[in-house]
Amino acid sequence: MTHFDAIVIGAGNAGLTAATTLQRGGARTLLLERHNIPGGCATSFVRGEFEFEVALHQLSGMGTDDKPFIMRKIFAQLGIMDKLEVVHEKELYRIVKPGKDGHDIDVTLPASWTGLKNTLCDTYPEESDNIKGFLKLCETLTLECFMMLPKVQKANDEAMLKASCPNYAKYGFSSAKAVLDEFFENQELKSVIAAYWCYIGLPPKDIQFPDLAMMLYAYAAFKPCHIKGGSQAISSALLESFMEAGGEIRFNCGAEKILTENDKVVGVRTETGEEFSCESVISNTSPIHTFNELLDTEKTPQQASQDMKSRRLGTSAFVLYLGLDCSPSDIGVTAASNFVIDSIDEEKAYETMQGIIDPTHTMLTCYNYDDPSFAPPGKSALSVLCLQYGAPWEDIPAEDYAKTKYEFAEKLIDHVERVFPNIRKNIEEVEVATPLTMMRYLNTPGGAIYGFNQNMQDGVLFRDRIDAIQGLYMAGCWNGMGGFQPTYMIGESTGRAVIKKLKKAAQLKKEATANA
Amino acid sequence: MPNSAENATKSNVLHAVNGYQDVIDSKQILEKSGTDFTENKWAVANTIAKLHPKRLQLKVVEIIQDTPTTKTLRFESTSQSLPPFQAGQYINLFVNIKGVETARPYAISSAPQTRGHYDLTVKRVEPGYVTHYLLDDVKVGDTFTSTSPMGSFYYNPLFHGTDLVFLAGGSGIAPALSIIKDIAARDGDFKFHLVYASSYEDDVIFDDQIKELDERFDFLTVSKVISRPTENYKGLTGHLNAKFLTQLLGPMKDKMYYICGPTSFHNFCEDQLASLNVKSRRVRIECNGPPKNPENLQGWPAGLIATDEVTVTIKGKGSFKARVDEPLLNSMERNGYTTENACRSGECSLCRVKVTKGSVLNPPEAHLRETDERYGWTHSCVAFPVEDIEIIV
Repeated sequence: MTHFDAIVIGAGNAGLTAATTLQRGGARTLLLERHNIPGGCATSFVRGEFEFEVALHQLSGMGTDDKPFIMRKIFAQLGIMDKLEVVHEKELYRIVKPGKDGHDIDVTLPASWTGLKNTLCDTYPEESDNIKGFLKLCETLTLECFMMLPKVQKANDEAMLKASCPNYAKYGFSSAKAVLDEFFENQELKSVIAAYWCYIGLPPKDIQFPDLAMMLYAYAAFKPCHIKGGSQAISSALLESFMEAGGEIRFNCGAEKILTENDKVVGVRTETGEEFSCESVISNTSPIHTFNELLDTEKTPQQASQDMKSRRLGTSAFVLYLGLDCSPSDIGVTAASNFVIDSIDEEKAYETMQGIIDPTHTMLTCYNYDDPSFAPPGKSALSVLCLQYGAPWEDIPAEDYAKTKYEFAEKLIDHVERVFPNIRKNIEEVEVATPLTMMRYLNTPGGAIYGFNQNMQDGVLFRDRIDAIQGLYMAGCWNGMGGFQPTYMIGESTGRAVIKKLKKAAQLKKEATANA
Repeated sequence: MPNSAENATKSNVLHAVNGYQDVIDSKQILEKSGTDFTENKWAVANTIAKLHPKRLQLKVVEIIQDTPTTKTLRFESTSQSLPPFQAGQYINLFVNIKGVETARPYAISSAPQTRGHYDLTVKRVEPGYVTHYLLDDVKVGDTFTSTSPMGSFYYNPLFHGTDLVFLAGGSGIAPALSIIKDIAARDGDFKFHLVYASSYEDDVIFDDQIKELDERFDFLTVSKVISRPTENYKGLTGHLNAKFLTQLLGPMKDKMYYICGPTSFHNFCEDQLASLNVKSRRVRIECNGPPKNPENLQGWPAGLIATDEVTVTIKGKGSFKARVDEPLLNSMERNGYTTENACRSGECSLCRVKVTKGSVLNPPEAHLRETDERYGWTHSCVAFPVEDIEIIV
């Protein structure tokens, strides 16, 4: 039986960064992927002349050449930064609420911290002091979270918390809604500022305020970006780096069982029946699949079972991938990322996500707006999506699936056509992905795209690492935040932690041999 | 116990953050009403398997001789119920011919509304390999494995509209028949013009069925065209050139065109439509296998002749000699190697392999992703090994 130091299950973002970190750090690593390409969400597919980005909307954490941020460092450590061509977005987003005569709201926020402040103050002058105070809070809170909070936690010092993280002490566990209500009168303004709730999947009342604050600050100060070739370019580069370092990859080869002895990982059996022995397993699939289905123990470990009881399945998404035979300007695109909303009540929007009903909040991303190379000349590559839970789709009889899918897709097109007319008549290619499509390609319960519901108690601050099975590690959106930057980071840090453990174990073994 | 100590640290300092206890309380409330999801064991796998099982187990229940060169094989499932499909889609049928494991995609000719079986219509190809086996050796009761239905050649209600034209050549009628039956079951004011080209009068597949459908449905117009008619043939004859199509179809611009037939038929029809200023977004072309005569392709190395042989090494497994004009996947299969595959026409990307030494020729049929070539990834079903190569499978 072939032996590996580590076996990584799933080549999603976290699986790829974990595997690459491990192999480059000297751990002999096998990466198992049930599909035929690396990336999980971070993939693309080709239809006609178009290559469609599956999931990446705005990559955060990269920064610019002059002002690099953490993801550049991580990609450099993983050996891929020199293979990536970064394209910056000029705007954070445009948010539009269509009305009977013209648009009730139509605001475009620039991707610049001072620009953001100026635009908001110009648009809502009566609230300009509140805007300045709020943005100042977002900035200081972000810095506290990044720079000081880890030190405070390490020192375990309450006085230090109050002195160095005063804003976190006050707002750390407030909901985004509570803070928005504290600062602003204008309901519209609150919706304009909170639009990124869609990237977390819960309405502002259920989001931890620092998550929204950090997103706003990080996106505005460090700019959202794309990589040429889409997120597939990142996934392919990571795989190449992994393979160059000597890592082994199996495609079309899911894991069937994680093999244990006395609650310790000893190997993995694949769905093709091959068995490999190993010291550790890093699972990039959901804990539900990992602990309830893959693990060979008779029962789900008590610790995992207990942890999951306070979790709730997170949202999935319904996505249209559109290749249009017209330019972005032909349909009125003036920013790459757009939110089209019917209501400034996000909780109402959240209700619509529970069923297959008319969406109130949709997102339209035009990939070739900031860089024409993302679509053939004269054409446009778009994705139009709304968040939606997977459960209602699971009850649809198989023979009604296609019809239901197209009927809902029509609604989505109608919804965005009020702002971006003539989409339908210019379609050259279209592919529709429902929550069941997400389920098929991500193998996640409910087709979840961000893991569990990311409400406050879901955060890592309130969770123990599940260590009931020695040598088994989880890496992905299910045990941290969803989205690209968080999953890349959690995979990389898990990889490093496993190397440390492996080295320590090897050292102990060596000492034991020497003593013997 | 390093872990609990760590958590103790966390809770100790964070309890001083406003709202800490509220979060702990809400977590406990959720914990009381929640489950560990074990009641839904395998729900994901089962849900996916209903719509997109990885493999189907099939049995031939009937063989219908359509024309002297064509048969329809009717398949029923021996395991789960057959998954639904969109009219026009195909399944990839795995076969074992004298020890060689290979596969070919065939469009389903039965209607999606027929849930009990799939019909595959197979026309003899010369020199041919798999079609000969299916037509000459397969009998009722034989069992097969296949993929589930796949492919992007189907009627898409989001933008295809209701004015449809299908240009079918030979066995290209198979998906057309399925689409016609599907349209008949849909609401809407459809027009569907089937232009069906065959070489010979006795080679018209589904002749009676199509006549019957034509009589039964007002939305359907059928134009049967014979390219090599006998002397006294009275129907339409010739090729589907621009002039012929304009006379037959009237204003061309806003219709949706489907093209399915042999490669030469595709290329010809596509050119004719382009010359009539039909936008490519109004034309859907079914994929149709690897390019024939790759030595005529752009990028073919000068001096290399079709019958030349190179060495293909499968890293860590072995090597074999392969002809440069044979698609890599085919020569791999003849030598006992395989990889996942389905469309065998360059589109679906399931057969992608990584070339680690040497290079292959990727024809335009290969719908590679932008970064594939940079890292040596290729679609083996349409890739030609133009020099000695090493690949990872």
